[in-house]
Amino acid sequence: MQKKDHYVIIGNGPAGNRASEIFRENDKNARVTIISDEGFPFYYRHKLLDFLSGSISDESLQVKKHLDYKKNNIRLRLGQTVTKIDPANRVLFLKHMEKIEYTSLILATGGTRSILPSLAGFEKYFSFMTNYNEALALKPALSGIKKAIVIGGDLISIKFIKMLINMGKDVSFFLCKEGFWPIELTEKMSENIASRMKKEEIKTILDDYPVNIFQTNAGYEIITENGEKIKGDIIFYFMGLKPDIDFIKGSGIDTAEGVLVDEYLKTNYKNIYACGDCAQIYNPEFKDYWISTGWDNATLQGETAALNLLGEHKIIKPVPHKIFEVEGIKVNTSWWKEIQE
Amino acid sequence: MAETDIVIEICGSSGEGTISAGEILARHMSRLGFEILSFDSYPSEIRGFGKCVAHCRISSKKIMSPGKYTDILIALNDIHSISQLSSMKENGIIIYDSNPLSFHEEDKSIAGWIEPGITAYGIPFYKLSQKAAGNSRNRNIVALGAFAALFGINDNGFKASMEQRYASKKKSIIESNLNSFTEGFRWTKNNITKLDNLFFKKPETGNAPLKRLMMNGNQAVAMGALDSNLHLYAGYPITPATKIMEILARELPKKGGIMIQTEDELSAIGHVIGAGFAGKRAMTATSGPGFSLMTELSGLSVMAEVPAVIVNSQRGGPSTGLPTKTEQSDLNLALAGGSGDSRRIILAPADVEECYKCACLAFYLAEKFQTLVVILLDFFLSNSIKNIKEPEKPDKKMLNANLAPLQDEIKDYKRFKVTLNGISPRSIPGTAGGMFIATGLEHNEKGKPCYAAETHKKMSDKRYRKLSGVLKEVPHPEWIGPKKNIKAGILTWGSTAGAAHEATLKAGESGIRAAFMRPMLISPLPVEQIKKFSDQCDVLLVPELNYEGQFAGYIAKYLERPIKRLNMVTGLPMSAEDILDEICKIAG
Ligand SMILES: Cc1cc2nc3c(=O)[nH]c(=O)nc-3n(C[C@H](O)[C@H](O)[C@H](O)COP(=O)(O)OP(=O)(O)OC[C@H]3O[C@@H](n4cnc5c(N)ncnc54)[C@H](O)[C@@H]3O)c2cc1C
Repeated sequence: MQKKDHYVIIGNGPAGNRASEIFRENDKNARVTIISDEGFPFYYRHKLLDFLSGSISDESLQVKKHLDYKKNNIRLRLGQTVTKIDPANRVLFLKHMEKIEYTSLILATGGTRSILPSLAGFEKYFSFMTNYNEALALKPALSGIKKAIVIGGDLISIKFIKMLINMGKDVSFFLCKEGFWPIELTEKMSENIASRMKKEEIKTILDDYPVNIFQTNAGYEIITENGEKIKGDIIFYFMGLKPDIDFIKGSGIDTAEGVLVDEYLKTNYKNIYACGDCAQIYNPEFKDYWISTGWDNATLQGETAALNLLGEHKIIKPVPHKIFEVEGIKVNTSWWKEIQE
Repeated sequence: MAETDIVIEICGSSGEGTISAGEILARHMSRLGFEILSFDSYPSEIRGFGKCVAHCRISSKKIMSPGKYTDILIALNDIHSISQLSSMKENGIIIYDSNPLSFHEEDKSIAGWIEPGITAYGIPFYKLSQKAAGNSRNRNIVALGAFAALFGINDNGFKASMEQRYASKKKSIIESNLNSFTEGFRWTKNNITKLDNLFFKKPETGNAPLKRLMMNGNQAVAMGALDSNLHLYAGYPITPATKIMEILARELPKKGGIMIQTEDELSAIGHVIGAGFAGKRAMTATSGPGFSLMTELSGLSVMAEVPAVIVNSQRGGPSTGLPTKTEQSDLNLALAGGSGDSRRIILAPADVEECYKCACLAFYLAEKFQTLVVILLDFFLSNSIKNIKEPEKPDKKMLNANLAPLQDEIKDYKRFKVTLNGISPRSIPGTAGGMFIATGLEHNEKGKPCYAAETHKKMSDKRYRKLSGVLKEVPHPEWIGPKKNIKAGILTWGSTAGAAHEATLKAGESGIRAAFMRPMLISPLPVEQIKKFSDQCDVLLVPELNYEGQFAGYIAKYLERPIKRLNMVTGLPMSAEDILDEICKIAG
């Protein structure tokens, strides 16, 4: 008997989920598997802040329940990490020492925290908020925090600061222009943000930069380039996301910053596609690659990658610029968009 | 303080130390003062690599059943453990080997099957065992170290228990086990972040660890037999009764007794009746297939009025059936196996404590009533380990129950004298003037064969009459729950009693008028008490582990009322949850 096709998707975010739906809709008999290193089912990342602040339960964080996958005969492997891909033999190696064979593979591994090289040595002092586990770990600590330092440069950090202020915390904010994500800040925009922040009585540091960080009995102390000392109980670090592809490097699949794919989202292997935040997509018009980000964008790419794997020829184009609003500040972003469920 | 009530399963393949890890764990938790009820299952075949499961319920309150759903699964073997996942609680915990020697093929790794809600901890059992012991044999002990670290159990105390357990072993073995435990404990402490909220809250036992005896049903029966001055054990090995023979082979000679492994079960019962005739306490233990063989000679014990004790540990049947699966399906055989009207005494213990009690009682009753006593165990009861308080030993009366003939009765000695209570004075061979004929043929008062209708009637009457006296010797069945207006009355027997009792209490907690009764004496049946109970029940539910509902059928003729049956033949003990479901259905 011929073996059934096995579509395997690495990543249980919007890209991976949409791809799985397409496979199931178009091929009722094939095996469809999603692998995710997170133990929590598919959830809205942008609602993590509300979850952290306690305004929503983890029930309302979820997009899909585990049962929904069972109903659709999709095997969901949660809390399982792919550590290696062998594209020549079409085998995945999982951290818990299991091998999985696939016929087609979708890489939808999203983004992971991105750290500026100058601050990489202090990573152990930072708290992050990019996924459910990090939010869960932060939750109990949050009530004991009086004074928080936020080193930030991304749209999430601004929302996050708002949340801290609403919770009555005292916040110092390093606004790092150079790493802002997913857009680049103009001088004007950063000044705008700073002045808005100051109005809210948030100590915003715009032209100074942490050069040294110490852990003290009371918490942390940051020494800045200008010799200022900033103290806090906790340091939150937000500098956007970068494609989560370390485990793919060296497998034979072409990568640069992300997984390199053509405008059809195909990698250099004909049965392997990449989509969402992990993909670096070729744009024939500009003859260059661009990195994708944003929820809707990931969903569309998941759909496109799956359809193309099934034989279609759909092209992904960079999403048109959108106006994004954070705290009354309008910023242009090509890939980011507020999600309306 | 919240109570601790946790079910743990250790699952591995034969030879991986699954059962011994379970035993060490149970013993240590018992020392800490917890109530323990554990139950092992293993493959039928002696050789091979079948699945072994050590199932252990650990509680700070009294427990009566093994618990259906697992809180913590320690997976020593992935493939076997995958099949245990269906009995895990939704928020259960799995501890597995994160670094086996080689990659698992697809779907053959337990970590690949973990569902949301379950917390999984990967511990490199194999690697740590190699490090600590130089081989992979101690993976089970590494797992115990990890378990202790995860659930806040003091490592030194645990190691002290292990030292005690391994006291008779070579020093190097003890050390390698202790090292393996420490490796597992330390690695887990240093590398694992606890993600669950499960801890064992130490019961209040004062400072001293509780003095309890850990034993299974077979051990309790053997101990009861030894304490009842058993003189001869004759038997042929058979699962799940063999352990009784093994213990007695070791212990009986120390007390001047004899253990004989006979060529088959026919011979075994022959030896027992022979010894009984000679005035010695004797016993055999077997299971369904062996018990079937014994039916022919067991009639002799009834007819010739010779004390004999048969322990039948039931397993799945018919025929050789399911040797390592539990069932309560030999009741019909025990009640009616054999030719003629050969009613015998049947005792069915519900738990380990009662296994001891029933063994003592069986010798007493067999001797006093000069007949066959069958103790009905089952695979689950034979193998379920409990930490019990030291049982009360049989007193003088229990140890000397023979009604010897008086001096003037010897003159014209009538071994089978028809008496008011049916019990005739019994002389032991060698008693001067106490000679008589003992035969399987119907006989007159002197034992001489006689087929006269009148004699057969008189003797049958006598043999049945004496059994009514048994009812006064065995405690009346306890009535648990309300005494009136009972919505669901649960009546069961043997090892299903624990689960039924627990289910009744749970039903009561949720406001259902449920009550429970269970006779330890199955034959003769305490009909009066059962009838009183039944009269108060809207619905009478009889849960038991057989297909037909053998006990339900048996009591039906006395009760003349509809009986709702709950029968299971899964090879596993019935759980409180199974029975509670049924009670809830009855209550609507
Ligand atoms: C706090 C926060 C707020 C956000 N708010 C917004 C917003 O308001 N609007 C918006 O448009 N976007 C927002 N985003 C971004 C948006 O969530 C992402 O762009 C989107 O989720 C990307 O989808 P994806 O499917 O590509 O990957 P992801 O959603 O990142 O999912 C990838 C999954 O793959 C898993 N994975 C990675 N490597 C492996 C491996 N080796 N083995 C197994 N699994 C692996 C990851 O753990 C992850 O679960 C936000 C992101 C964050 C973190």
